[in-house]
Amino acid sequence: MCDQTPNWILQHPAYQQMKDLEVGDSEQLHAAFLVYMDLTEVRRWKEVSCVKSPELQVVLLKAKEKEGASVQTIFPLPVHRSLSHRSIRQVLDRGFPVLLCAVAADSTLVYQRMTDGLVTPDPPAGPFQDVGRRQHRKRRQQH
Amino acid sequence: MEESPSMDDHQDSSLVVGVGLCDSAPLLWRLQDLKTVRSLGLVGALLGSLPRTPRQNQRLGRPLLLLPEEEKLLRDEEAAGALPGQNQDVGGVELQRRFEEDQQRSFEEQSVLALEDRKSALLRAMTSSHTGSESGAEAVDEALRRRLEALDHSFTFPQSAMAVQLSTARAGLSYCPEARAHLQANWPIREQNSPRSDARCQVFRDLRGRGFFLTSAGKFGGDFLVYPGDPLRFHAHFIAVCLMLDESVCLLDVLAVARLGSNVKKTVLLCSPTADGGVHYTSLQWSGMV
Repeated sequence: MCDQTPNWILQHPAYQQMKDLEVGDSEQLHAAFLVYMDLTEVRRWKEVSCVKSPELQVVLLKAKEKEGASVQTIFPLPVHRSLSHRSIRQVLDRGFPVLLCAVAADSTLVYQRMTDGLVTPDPPAGPFQDVGRRQHRKRRQQH
Repeated sequence: MEESPSMDDHQDSSLVVGVGLCDSAPLLWRLQDLKTVRSLGLVGALLGSLPRTPRQNQRLGRPLLLLPEEEKLLRDEEAAGALPGQNQDVGGVELQRRFEEDQQRSFEEQSVLALEDRKSALLRAMTSSHTGSESGAEAVDEALRRRLEALDHSFTFPQSAMAVQLSTARAGLSYCPEARAHLQANWPIREQNSPRSDARCQVFRDLRGRGFFLTSAGKFGGDFLVYPGDPLRFHAHFIAVCLMLDESVCLLDVLAVARLGSNVKKTVLLCSPTADGGVHYTSLQWSGMV
């Protein structure tokens, strides 16, 4: 298979589209393409497209989790890269919910949600019950 | 003074806490001072060992160590004054003399009581072993009398046998309550003013101003733990990581702190001060996309 289409990525129309954005960062371009494939083929997200961020000179993706959902911005970045809070703010300023996607050398993808402001975490799941003194005493004896 | 929702209504603007410096650590020693800073929404960290429950780290006592940001806040609001250094010569000698007097008195009392104790023990021993024999009663009395006399002459109460009472109930901290020096401009500036520490300070003030309580977040790899109310009543909601807007951070570090946050059910907060005095907050959460 390898010798038949070694450049299938380079020839992929989506890749070509991203390349035409001319961000001048082939590594980030590659990362963006992997995220594109994950969103379209694996997670089946809708209306996945690419857009250039002029401030950051990177390829960003836009997509909807499903039909009728709201648009989100996905920021792909190779995992060994650095970034600043300012660049994150610039992506947030686009006005859509943001997912930062870290792409590892083995193509592992990790998505982190980034939101402006203070988002209270989900409370721990109930139901709760008091453990009782016996339980505490047991735990102490184990030390 | 800056108003915040958590401040008491009857806040006395002349309320000043006395900060004692131990090397460079700002410490609060007086109970009233601890109450005052808590009412200002500052938590600090207790460092001291409690006399009645030593050898454990779950419950600690005074002094209270202030964060650099907390100390700066008090300073800026003119709510902190320097505790005068201890007048060791005068106070110490007097205290020592009184202590030695008390010890001596206690020793003399205990000697008398110990002798009485011995005598009554002797009495009990000798009379109980001869009960019922009338004929030898007089002889016993005579022996007893001689033994008691001997005891009077030869009995010594050794110093090492003395019982010493240690007061553990609220030992007073010796200082002069009247003499307080209001904060002067020459308060020693100890911390190096790095951009990071400035960022921390601004973030601290902003969050405190919104009514949150903050403590240090060393255990969680962040700068502050942010509580929606008093830490005694709430779990922390956020781990605040303070950085400058243009500071470069490794994506791996962002992932690490975000992962930690989701493991402990807290949102990681990236906090950066802006040029106009505000703060940008970005919440990091797990996407849920495995």
